[in-house]
Amino acid sequence: MLEATDLHVSYGDLQALWGMSLRVDDGEIVALIGPNGAGKTTLLRTITGLLRPTSGTVRFDGRALHQERPHHIVDLGIALVPEGRRLFAGMSVLENLMLGAFTARARPRRQETLRGVYEIFPVLAERLGQPAGTLSGGQQQMLAIGRALMARPKILLLDEPSLGLAPVVALRIFEVIRRINADQRVTVLLVEQNVKAALELAHRAYLAQGGRIVGGGTGAELLGDERVKSAYLDFLSVS
Amino acid sequence: MSAQFIAQNLIFGVLTGSLYGLGAAGLSLVFGVLRVLNVAHGELIMLGGYASFWLFASYGLDPFASLLLTTPLMFVIGLGLHQGLFTHVETLDEDMRIKNSLLIGFGLTLALHNLAIRLWTADERAVTTAYSGAVIAAGGLVFPVVRVAALVIAFGAIALVHLMLRATYVGQAIRATAEDWEAAMLMGIDVRRTYLIAFALGSALAGVAGTLVSVGYSINPSIGLEWTLKALIVVVLAGLGSMPGTFLGGLLLGLAESVSALLLGGTYREVVALVIFVLVLMFRPQGLFGR
Amino acid sequence: MRQPFALVALVALVVLSVLLPFLTARTDILNLGFLIFLYIALAQSWNALAGLAGQINLGHAAFFGIGAFVMRHVWIAGVHPYLGLLAGGAAALLFGLLIGAPAFRLRGAYFAIGTLGLAEILRITVGNALPVVSTLPAESIAGYSLTHRYYLALGLALLTVATLAALARSRLGLGMLALRDDEDAAEATGVDALKHKLIALAVSTGFAGLAGGVFAFYHVSYYHQLPFSPTWTFDALLITFVGGVGTIAGPIVGTVFYLLVREVLVQSLVELHLLIFGLLFILVVLALPGGLMDAVARVRRLSERARARRSMTGAT
Repeated sequence: MLEATDLHVSYGDLQALWGMSLRVDDGEIVALIGPNGAGKTTLLRTITGLLRPTSGTVRFDGRALHQERPHHIVDLGIALVPEGRRLFAGMSVLENLMLGAFTARARPRRQETLRGVYEIFPVLAERLGQPAGTLSGGQQQMLAIGRALMARPKILLLDEPSLGLAPVVALRIFEVIRRINADQRVTVLLVEQNVKAALELAHRAYLAQGGRIVGGGTGAELLGDERVKSAYLDFLSVS
Repeated sequence: MSAQFIAQNLIFGVLTGSLYGLGAAGLSLVFGVLRVLNVAHGELIMLGGYASFWLFASYGLDPFASLLLTTPLMFVIGLGLHQGLFTHVETLDEDMRIKNSLLIGFGLTLALHNLAIRLWTADERAVTTAYSGAVIAAGGLVFPVVRVAALVIAFGAIALVHLMLRATYVGQAIRATAEDWEAAMLMGIDVRRTYLIAFALGSALAGVAGTLVSVGYSINPSIGLEWTLKALIVVVLAGLGSMPGTFLGGLLLGLAESVSALLLGGTYREVVALVIFVLVLMFRPQGLFGR
Repeated sequence: MRQPFALVALVALVVLSVLLPFLTARTDILNLGFLIFLYIALAQSWNALAGLAGQINLGHAAFFGIGAFVMRHVWIAGVHPYLGLLAGGAAALLFGLLIGAPAFRLRGAYFAIGTLGLAEILRITVGNALPVVSTLPAESIAGYSLTHRYYLALGLALLTVATLAALARSRLGLGMLALRDDEDAAEATGVDALKHKLIALAVSTGFAGLAGGVFAFYHVSYYHQLPFSPTWTFDALLITFVGGVGTIAGPIVGTVFYLLVREVLVQSLVELHLLIFGLLFILVVLALPGGLMDAVARVRRLSERARARRSMTGAT
C-alpha cells in the first residue's frame, strides 16, 4: 500500500535520510524503531508531504506522493498523528475532531465517523466543549488519534504516541491502535520509543539508524535481534 | 467641567473607538494568521474611504449602500496584493518573514500613498450626505447619526467575522492555521489558500473601516500612517486571536483618548495612546485579551 | 573595496568633493552637495543597526531630532556650534542606550513598531511644547557660510563611512553580522546578543544625533518638530535598502540616486520620486535583497563568467 524507495531527505544542508526504503502492506501494523536522530520523524514528514525528498520516491497505492502538497496527501487517505500531538489547544475537543474531517473525502460522512470515534474514545464524548489544551496527556493523545481517524484514513501514521504518558495510559493507547487496525482495517505505521510494546503490537518492523534502514523482520524476530536488545536494554528489561 | 461635558466626550470616544476596533480587526486577522505585519493596512483603510467617496461624488451613491460594492472590491484588491507581494515571504522563517513583510508593507505604503495623491490630490475629502448633520438627542447628550450608524456597522462587521471564524469550515481553517499551520496542513487544509483568504478578508475589513471614516470624519491621502498606528496600538493592546477582544480594545483606546483629552487637553491625546502602546509592548506584549 | 578601480574612483570622488567649493560658487550645487553628505551620514547611521546587526529601527528620526534639538538650543545659548554638535550626538547616543536595553527585549516586528511609537511620542510632545519656528539670532545669520556647512557635512559623511567600514571588519562587526543572519545560532556560539546590539545602536544613534546637529546648524529657521518627522527614518530606510543594506557603498549609491532623482523630478511632479522609490523598494525586497550593490555585483559576476567562457573557447 505504502512504499518508500531510496529516500534522500535534507534539512537545508543537513542530510537526514540516506536512501531509506520501507514498505507497508494493506492491513498491517508496521513499527519503525531506532535511536533518536535515526530519521524516523523525518520519514513520516516526508510521506505526508511536509518535506520534499531530494531523491527517491514515495508511492501510495501505486501513486507517487513526493510532488504532492500535504493537504492533498491527507485527502488521498494518509493521516498523521504527529509527535507531540500538535492539537489546536485553544479550540475545543469537538472543534479539533471536526477539523480532522476537513477533507472533501471525509467531510460528508463526518457525523458517522464522529460516532465511531466516540465509541473508541468515550472519554472524548464527555468533554466535547473543553479546550483541547486542558486535557490530560492521555486524553490529548486520544484526541489526536481520534482527530486523525476523522479523516477516514486508509493508513494511519503515528509518531511516538506513548511519549510523555504513564505506562498504564500508554498501554491503553496501544490497545486502541490494535483495535483500530483489527476492527476498522486501518493500516498502521508506528514510530515508537517503547520498543517492546511496539514490537509486540506490530506484524512487521524496521530498525532505523543514521538515516538508513539497518534491519527488518517480524516483531518477534526483531525482539530477538542483538542490536535491538543492546540498544534498548532498559526498555526490554521492563516486562 | 460639567458631567454632561464629560459624558459627551466619552460618548465621542466610544464612537471613534468602534472605528479603531474595526480598523484593527483586519490587521489582527492578517498578523494572527499569516504572521505578517502589514504596515500598509492604514493605506487600505484610506483606499476604502476614497472608493466610497468616489462613488458618492461621481454617482451620488449613498456611502452605506456603497459598502455592498466597496467591500467586495477591497476583498479582490486584497487577493491581488497578497498574490503579488506577500506569497514569497510565507516560505521564510518567522524572523525573516516579519522583517520582510514589514519592508514590503512599507514600500506598499509609499506606493499607495503617492498613488492616492496622484489620483485625488492631497485635499481633505468627506462624504456629506443629506443626513450627515443629523443627530439623536437624548438626555441632554448628542449622538451624531452617521457615527452611531458607523458603530453599529463596525460592530456588525466584527460580529459577522467572529461568527464566520467559529461556524464555517473556512473560518475554522483560518483559526487552525493561525494556531499551528503545519498541523492545519495535516488536517487537509490548504494553508496557502487560507493565507490568501485571510489577507483578503483583512483588506475587506479595512475597506469597510475606510468607508465609515469617510462619512463620519474626513479622509486625505496621508491618513494611512495615522490609522496604521492606531490599528497597531489596538492590536498590541487587545492581543491577537479574538475579534471581540479587538473591538473592545478599540473602544478602550477611544475612551482613553477622550479621558486624556479631558485631563490633559486635546494636543496630548495622541501621545497618551502612544505611551499606552509602548508600555503594553514592554510589559504585556500579549495584550489584554490575547493568548 | 578590493577592486583597484573602485578605490581609485572613490578617492577621485572624495577629492572632487573637497575641491567643489573652489570649482563653483553656485549655491544650488553646494546645497545639493550638503544634502547628499547629510543623507549619506543619516543613511549610514541607520545602516549600522539594520545592515550590521539586523535590527529594523523605525524610530530613527527620534535620534536625528534629539541631535538637532540639543545642538540648536546649546548653540543659541551661546556655546560654540561644534560643542553643540557633540552635545547633540552625545544626547542621542545616551537616549539610544537608555531605551536600547528594554527595547531589545522585543523581537522583530515589535521592536520596529515600538521604536516607531517612541519616535512619534517625541515628535508630538516636542511639537506641542514648542509649536513655533526655531530661528537663529541675527549675528549667526549674518555670518552664515554655506561652504563651512558643506565641509562639515562632508566631514561627517566621511567619518560615518570610515567608522562603519572599520567596524564591519572588526571582531565586533563580525559578531553583529552573525546576529543579523541568525540570532539564535549566533547566541549559541557565544555571541553576546545584547552587547553587540547595544554597540550597534550606540553607533547608529550617535551618528544620527550628529547628523541632526548638522541639520540644525544648516537651517536658518525650521519648525522644532521637523527633525523628528518619520520622513527622516523612511528616507534613510528607503535609501539604504535600494542602495544595498549591509554594504558600505549601498547607502552612498542610494543617496546619490535618491537625491538626484528628487532634484530632476522636482521640476515636474514633486512626490513622484517617492512613488518611484516605493516601487523600486518593493522590487528590491521581493527580488533583489542586496539592492543596487547586489545588482552591480551580479552584473559583474555575469560578465566575468562570460569573459571566462570566451577565453576558454578561444583556447580550444
